[in-house]
Amino acid sequence: MGMLNLVLSNFSRKPPTRLYPFDIRAPYENFRGRIIFSPENCIYCGICQKKCPPDAITVTKDEKTWELNVFRCIMCTECVSSCPKECIVISNERAKTGPKEYIKIVTPK
Amino acid sequence: MTTVIPFGPQHPVLPEPVQLKLELDNDVVVGALPSLGYVHRGLEKFIDTKDYNQTLYICERICGICSAIHSITYARGVEQLMNVEIPERAEYLRVIWSELARVQSHLLWLGLFADGFGFESLFMECWKYREAVMDIMEMTTGNRVITSMCKVGGTTKDLSKEHIDIILKAIDNLEPQVENLEKVFVNNYTVKKRLVGLGVLSKQLAYDVGAVGPTLRGSGVHSDIRESPSWSIYKDLNFKAVIENDGDCYARTKVRIYELYECFKLIRNAISKLPAGEISIPVKGSPAAGAEAISRAEQPRGEVVYYVKGNGTKNLERLKIRTPTFANIPALLQMLPGIKLADVPVVVLTVDPCISCTER
Ligand code: SF4
Ligand code: SF4
Repeated sequence: MGMLNLVLSNFSRKPPTRLYPFDIRAPYENFRGRIIFSPENCIYCGICQKKCPPDAITVTKDEKTWELNVFRCIMCTECVSSCPKECIVISNERAKTGPKEYIKIVTPK
Repeated sequence: MTTVIPFGPQHPVLPEPVQLKLELDNDVVVGALPSLGYVHRGLEKFIDTKDYNQTLYICERICGICSAIHSITYARGVEQLMNVEIPERAEYLRVIWSELARVQSHLLWLGLFADGFGFESLFMECWKYREAVMDIMEMTTGNRVITSMCKVGGTTKDLSKEHIDIILKAIDNLEPQVENLEKVFVNNYTVKKRLVGLGVLSKQLAYDVGAVGPTLRGSGVHSDIRESPSWSIYKDLNFKAVIENDGDCYARTKVRIYELYECFKLIRNAISKLPAGEISIPVKGSPAAGAEAISRAEQPRGEVVYYVKGNGTKNLERLKIRTPTFANIPALLQMLPGIKLADVPVVVLTVDPCISCTER
């Protein structure tokens, strides 16, 4: 009996799915969308590189570069919590898809 | 004369690759030989290059569906190794998230199983209900599946008052929906005709071949790691293991459905008792050389065992994982002889095979 009820009630119900990409749900506040790095305070200590489990971050102290391999990052937020200068934050905005693999930031000397 | 027919590695009911070489006499199975290794990734060796905090993220990725409990079990192992006492609130949060993970895993399985015996609409229905749980996961931890909410020393995320209200409301909604599903899975004539008496595993045999989880409890053996002394928190939450005695596919299905109610109860109790305070403590230093620890937990599919050994550095000397499906494959081989080829997919699904776990 239960099965028949399920099937019949489905006739009068709206579909539970959304018509993506026309109807996009706003991301939740806690959603791990993408990593945002702000170079102003960074001292290029390399702690984030050491903590990152999939080795997605490369920091060079001499040239003052900070590089994130977006395809490797697993959004674990280890770098966010370990940075002593709080340069890395995680935003709930979904990262745009695309072929660009690296975000490279070079601080001018 | 017998014929050998390969079942898998690619088969419509198998989400993951495993092969069973079925020995058939006409269309009755007389023997089965498993062949594993299609998705072996060498994760136990891979951790050599990672420290114990990073290893948690690898353990979490062993399997998608039970990832939360994998990371919790690993964290408990390392905490034992380093004699860390985690805050009480973290213990409760871990229970809430692991039970939510169990709810979504069982709903996923019910859906796949319904699909396995030909109930497409029921399959969609189960997955629709599961979506509510996935949304809670995303809202509270930031990810749907790989939640990364656990760390050595506690949890990384906390539940706010609003989150708790949303979880309670979602569970109140989910419970009548599961009751609806229960009516179909437990009372429907067609379903019963298909499942009752199929793939019987007797109590003694289930115990002897070392089955775990719902496969074992469906055969009437009282065994659930959540009742063991190492998980005293579940005792405070008034947990009771679900046992069915028949040992057939129907019994294993019932175990999983009734476990859903048990999960709802546990989540409600954990939320009502949730103590205030810290969610994690900082863990410093590294595990002592030669220190060993074993930690066990009840995953949706059964008991998982983690063995960790330290070597005085940040890296672990050895990590060994015995996953539930690995223990259930011998049981599966015992269920197959005597059934028809057309029933093999249903019986294979009732152990809830998770091949990525098995092969690590
Ligand atoms: S840890 Fe922070 S300060 Fe150090 S290199 Fe990384 S981003 Fe810069
Ligand atoms: S979120 Fe995790 S994986 Fe991504 S860059 Fe930070 S530490 Fe690495």
